[in-house]
Amino acid sequence: MVDATNSLLYQLVLKDAPYVIAAYAVLWLALAGYVTVTLRRLMKLDKEVKLLEDAVAAKTEAQD
Amino acid sequence: MKTSLKWAVVLAVLGGVLTTLAFLGAFYYARVQTFSTTVPVAREIALPAVKAGFPAPPESQASAPAGTVAVRRPWFSQKIFFFHVPIAVASLLVFTIAAIFSVLFLVKRKKSYDTRSRIAMEATLIFIVGTMISGDLWTRASWGVWWEWEPRLTTYAIMTLLVIAYFVLRNSVEDEERRATYAAVFSIFAWIDAPITFMITRIMPSQHPALAAMETSNLIPFMVGMAGMCMLGFAIYELRFNEEHLRERLAALKDDLEG
Repeated sequence: MVDATNSLLYQLVLKDAPYVIAAYAVLWLALAGYVTVTLRRLMKLDKEVKLLEDAVAAKTEAQD
Repeated sequence: MKTSLKWAVVLAVLGGVLTTLAFLGAFYYARVQTFSTTVPVAREIALPAVKAGFPAPPESQASAPAGTVAVRRPWFSQKIFFFHVPIAVASLLVFTIAAIFSVLFLVKRKKSYDTRSRIAMEATLIFIVGTMISGDLWTRASWGVWWEWEPRLTTYAIMTLLVIAYFVLRNSVEDEERRATYAAVFSIFAWIDAPITFMITRIMPSQHPALAAMETSNLIPFMVGMAGMCMLGFAIYELRFNEEHLRERLAALKDDLEG
């Protein structure tokens, strides 16, 4: 048997809980997603830069 | 990997860990705060247990309007503050960084300052959207409405529109030099709203809760969240700056290869 005060407390908490959970979930997922996508783009760009640097170096060598 | 990029990744991870700790602290460590409110006498019959668990102070009882009774209501939605306030403060900080780089651009006319200012404005927009979403959810939970035209919310909404307008302005000017100058002037003008938003609850009557309402024992997870969110803000800014730097390097290498 749930105590009356606790029962009412649970009702009040459960009423607010979806908003609290939604706030944390939306913010956390948005920030984690943004950082992950930015990091992946960075890694891809880093690889492309390295490839092009090699290509430029090879071209300069061939010209010399 | 560049040193600044390594630091950005470290800060992003640390920021993630600290905000997670703040989240856990909000539920496992922080106390559920209560606030005074009044309910109609007719509903009071349904609330004796709450009155017993959280008795309202006698002065609240005395000042309760006729036909109502004072009670202290558990404030579970206040748990949103452990994320909402840090992200709002971080949005004001990155906005300030954007304004500082705008001033530097106008003084020194260096393109890198314009790039830094734009990236800080991007981070500001992300944090502003986060603040608005979490704030709206709190408003709905605590006040029963999605929006209230009260001073803090209104000035922050104006700030949101100004930051969006900054990007509209940037995209509407083709000449690079003019675009950078207009954007710098506009971001400084828009930033004026940041201190107004911050101070408004102190200079005008406002329903928006103040930090002073937070219990001292709850400040530990709150400060952890604040540190984590500021680290995340700086990490996002640095990651995006490194990305822009790599894009410029890529364009220069393509020119070298084709030329």
